[in-house]
Amino acid sequence: MIRIQSPLLRWLLIGLAISVSVGVVAFALWLVQLDKEVRVRYAGVKWVLPAQVYAAPMDLYPGAPITVPDLRRELDRLGYRLSDELSGPGTYQMAVDELRVDIRAFSFWDSQQQEQRVAFKGDASGLTAIRAMGSDRSIDLLRLDPMLIGSIYPSHSAEDRVLVKLDEVPPLLPATLIQVEDRGFEDHFGVSLKGILRAAVTNAFRGGARKQGGSTITQQLIKNLFLSNEQSYARKIREALMAILLERHVSKHDILEAYLNEVWLGQDGNRAIHGFGLASQFYFNKPLNELRPAEIALLVGIAKGPTVYNPRRFPDRVRDRRDLVLQLMTDGGLIREDEREVEALSPLGVQNGKAGGVERYPAFIDLVRRQIKGLYREEDLGSEGLRIFTTLDPRAQERLEARIVADLPDLEKSRQLKTGTLQAAGVVTSVEGGEVLAMVGDRNVRFPGFNRALDSQRPIGSLAKPFVYLAALADPGRYNLASIVVDEPIELRMPNGSRWAPKNYDHKLHGAVPLYAALARSYNLPTVKVGLDVGVDRVHDMLQAAGLQEPPRLPSMFLGAINASPLDVAQVYSTLAANGYLTPLLAIREVMTKDGKPLSRYSFQLKQTLPEGPVYLTNWAMQKVIEFGTARWAVSVLPAGQTFAGKTGTTDDARDSWFAGFGGDRVAVVWVGRDDNKPVGLDGAAGALRIWGRLMRDLKARGLDLTAPAEVVDAVIDPQTGLLADEGCSGTMIMPFMADALPTRYADCANAGQSGPLDWLKDIFR
Amino acid sequence: MNLHRLAANARQPRLATACVLLLTIAGCATAPATTTPRTTGEVVTPPTASSPAQPPTVVQPPLLPEPEPKAPVAVEYPKTLAAAGAAAPVLALARQAEQSRAAGQHEAALGQWQRALRIEPRNAFLWHEIASTHLSLQHAGQAESSAQKSTSLARGNLWLEAENWRLIASARRLALDTPGAEAALARAASLSPGIAASAP
Repeated sequence: MIRIQSPLLRWLLIGLAISVSVGVVAFALWLVQLDKEVRVRYAGVKWVLPAQVYAAPMDLYPGAPITVPDLRRELDRLGYRLSDELSGPGTYQMAVDELRVDIRAFSFWDSQQQEQRVAFKGDASGLTAIRAMGSDRSIDLLRLDPMLIGSIYPSHSAEDRVLVKLDEVPPLLPATLIQVEDRGFEDHFGVSLKGILRAAVTNAFRGGARKQGGSTITQQLIKNLFLSNEQSYARKIREALMAILLERHVSKHDILEAYLNEVWLGQDGNRAIHGFGLASQFYFNKPLNELRPAEIALLVGIAKGPTVYNPRRFPDRVRDRRDLVLQLMTDGGLIREDEREVEALSPLGVQNGKAGGVERYPAFIDLVRRQIKGLYREEDLGSEGLRIFTTLDPRAQERLEARIVADLPDLEKSRQLKTGTLQAAGVVTSVEGGEVLAMVGDRNVRFPGFNRALDSQRPIGSLAKPFVYLAALADPGRYNLASIVVDEPIELRMPNGSRWAPKNYDHKLHGAVPLYAALARSYNLPTVKVGLDVGVDRVHDMLQAAGLQEPPRLPSMFLGAINASPLDVAQVYSTLAANGYLTPLLAIREVMTKDGKPLSRYSFQLKQTLPEGPVYLTNWAMQKVIEFGTARWAVSVLPAGQTFAGKTGTTDDARDSWFAGFGGDRVAVVWVGRDDNKPVGLDGAAGALRIWGRLMRDLKARGLDLTAPAEVVDAVIDPQTGLLADEGCSGTMIMPFMADALPTRYADCANAGQSGPLDWLKDIFR
Repeated sequence: MNLHRLAANARQPRLATACVLLLTIAGCATAPATTTPRTTGEVVTPPTASSPAQPPTVVQPPLLPEPEPKAPVAVEYPKTLAAAGAAAPVLALARQAEQSRAAGQHEAALGQWQRALRIEPRNAFLWHEIASTHLSLQHAGQAESSAQKSTSLARGNLWLEAENWRLIASARRLALDTPGAEAALARAASLSPGIAASAP
C-alpha cells in the first residue's frame, strides 16, 4: 500500500478527486440539459415553408387553339425534356405526325391526375386529336401540371424551400450524399472518430487553417439547425455532443431526410434556396425525381459551398466539382464506369437566368401577394407550405412581355428619344370570369421594383369618354348613337373661379357630328357637351358601376382627369366587355395545403352594374374607334373579319399614351409614358395602340360576339341628320338603337319622309 | 360602306327588327312613345326632340331586308348542353360536375363548371348551371346574377330564359324576397306561350 507521506500531496489528490467528481457530475448534468435541448429543439423544428405559387394549368382538348409548336413550347417551359423515346415522367418525343408526352402526375384542386402517356395531333389552328398511348382511347380533356412561378415568404425571413420525403427522392441522391459527405453515416453514432482524425492530420499539415470539416451529416445538420457559423473548438465540441445525443433519439432515416430539406444550396437575390427539392427547380426547372445522375452530382457537389460553387457564375469550377462527385459515385459502386463517362460528357444543364418565379413574373406575384394578404396570416403564408393556384397564363404573359420588350425601343426611335426613356405597363384579363392572365409593371419585365401596372396612378385621358357616352345612351329618350352633337368652343367657370376651356386634340372644330363619330374620333368638345348635359353625377355613377373606386365629380373627368392604374382601367373596361356585368378581377383560383388538401376556392363574383343595351351601343361605337377612328392603325395588324373594340387615351402634352380594348375573350390595357412625367410626344394611337394591336394578334384573341341584346334593334339612318333613311338617301348607315326609342322621323332625303301611302295608318295612331 | 354589305351584316338582327316593329305597332295604340324633349340649346337630339307628337313610324323601313316569313316554325329550343352543341371537353366537365353534385360536393361542381366556362365563356347553358350550383350553395345573389347572365347570352332561347326566371325566383325566395320571387315566376310564365308555339 502506498502511503502518501506529504500532506500537501494528499490534500492535492483529495481536491483533485473532488473536482473530478464535481466535474463529472456537472458534465453529466450539462449533458442531460443538452439532451433535453436537442430533443426539445428538434421536436420544435418547423421548416420554413413559403407558400408555393403556381400558374394556371394548360387545358388540353381536341379543338383547343394550341398548336403542336405551342404545346412544345409549354412543355419546354415546364422542364419537360425532348428525347428519342419516352423515358419516364417529364419527357416528350416528336414522332412523325404526333407529339408524345409522358405527362407528370399532379394533385389538382378537384382531382389527382395520374402520370399518363399521351399522343397529340394538331394543325395550324390547334389540337385535333388526343389519344392515350397504348390503348387508342381518345381523351376529351386533360391538364398539364402547372408551372411553379414563385413563393411567398414573409419579409423578415427569406428562406425558401420545397419539402421532400426521403422515400420519394431518387435513391441515388441520398446514396451520393453519403458517399461524398459522410461515408460512415450508417454506422457511426453521430460523430466519426476516423473523420476527426483525418481532419486533424490534414489541418495540422495546413498549419491550423481549419479547412477540413470532418463533420458527419448529423453534425452538419446540428450546425445548420441550432448553431451559429462561429468557428471555435467550444462550438465544435458542443456540435459533436449534440450530434451524438440526436442520434440517440432520431433515426438515421429522419436525420438524412432533415438534411435533404435543410441544407443551403444557393441564393437568389435575398431569397435563400434551401433543400434539394427547391434547388432542383431553381437550377434545373424540373422536379427532383427527374434528375439525371450528373445533375444529382452537381447538387451534391455544390452543397459544399453554394457561393464558391455557384454554377451560374463559375461553371468551370462547378463542372470539375461535379465530375469529381461522379467519380466518387463510380468508386462507391453507385453508377457504372460507362455511365459515368456518358454523364461526365453532359453539359451542366443549369437553366439560364433567374428561374425562380419571384424574379420571373414579379408584377404578377406582387398582385398575388396583395390579394392573398388578408386571406391568410403572414406567418401561415411563410411557413405552412400552402399551394396557391393562380390565374396566370404563361403564354399570355410571355406575349405581353415580348411586345413591350420589342416595341418600346421602336417607339423611342420613332420619337428620337434616348433608349430607356420610356416606361410601360400592361394587363391582360379574361372577358368572362375576370381572371388576370398577364401583367407587366416595368419595361425590364423581370425587375421586381415599382409595379406600374398596380401602383402608377396616371390620368386616363380619353379612356374616360366611353363612360360619358354610356351615360348619355342610357337615356335613350334623349340620346342615341346617331344624335347630332355640335362641336363648338366651350368655356366653363369652375367652382374655384378658374376658367376651363377645353380644346380638341387637333385644335380644330368639326361642326355637327353624330355621337358615335364623336367617340370614334375622340373629339373633346362634343364629349364635354354631352357630359355636361347628362351631368357629372351620371358619368361618375357609370364609372363607379364599372368598378372604378371613387371617381372624381368634376367636368374635367369627361376628358379623363381621373388618376387610375392600368389594372383599374382593365377593371372598368372588363365590365364593358362583359356586357355590363362587373366581376372584380382575380389573380387566385384555389389554395391547397402542402399535403394537397383543398383549403379554399375563390369563385369570381358577378353582378350586372351597367345596363346591357346602352353598353352594347357604346361598344358598337368603340368598334368604330378601330374601324375608322383614332385607332384605325390596328386594322392593319388585327385578324381580318374579326371585330374588336377599344379606345385611345392621351393626356395633356402627350405625357401618357394609353390604349384599352377588348374582343370576345380578352381585355388588354397598355400604358406608355415616362416616370418623370415629361411629355413623350406619343398620343394613344402612336404609342400604346402599337403594342396593344400586335398583342391582341399575338394572343390570338377572339373577335367580339356581335349578337345584340333583345332590347336593341337595327335601323337604317341618315348619319347627317340622325334621322331614318330609305332608298331616297345616299350614304346611309345601319345602326343599333334601343328598341323602345327608335328614331321616329325620316330625313328629308327619304322618300318615306314625304307623305306616303301609309300615312293613313299614322293618322289612326295619332 | 356600300349598302349591300351593310344589309349582309345586318342579317342577324333582321328578325328581331321585324318583331320589334310589329310590337311597336301593337303597343303604340295605347302608349304613344313620346319623349319630352329637353332643349338645352347645346345638344341636338333630332329623332325625338323635334317631333314629340309623332308616333313611332310603322312605315316599313325599305332598306332593311325583308323579314323572312315567321310562320309557325317548328324549332324546338335546345334544352341541354349537348343539344346546344357544347364541345366534348365541356361535356366531359359537365359529367364531372354532375358527379360532384350527386356527391353533394357543390363547391367542386362550381369549380368544374367554371373550368368549362373558360373553354366556352359565352355558353348560356354553362351560366345557367353555374347559377344553379350557386343556388345549391345558398349564394342567392350569385345565383340570380349568373342566371341573368345566362339570359343575356341565351340568344332568344325562351325555354332557357324561363328556366333562368324560375331559378331567379328560387334565389329570391332564398333571400326572403317574396314579391321579387313572384315577379320572376310571372316572367317565366309569360314566356310559356312562346315556348309552346315553338314546340314541334
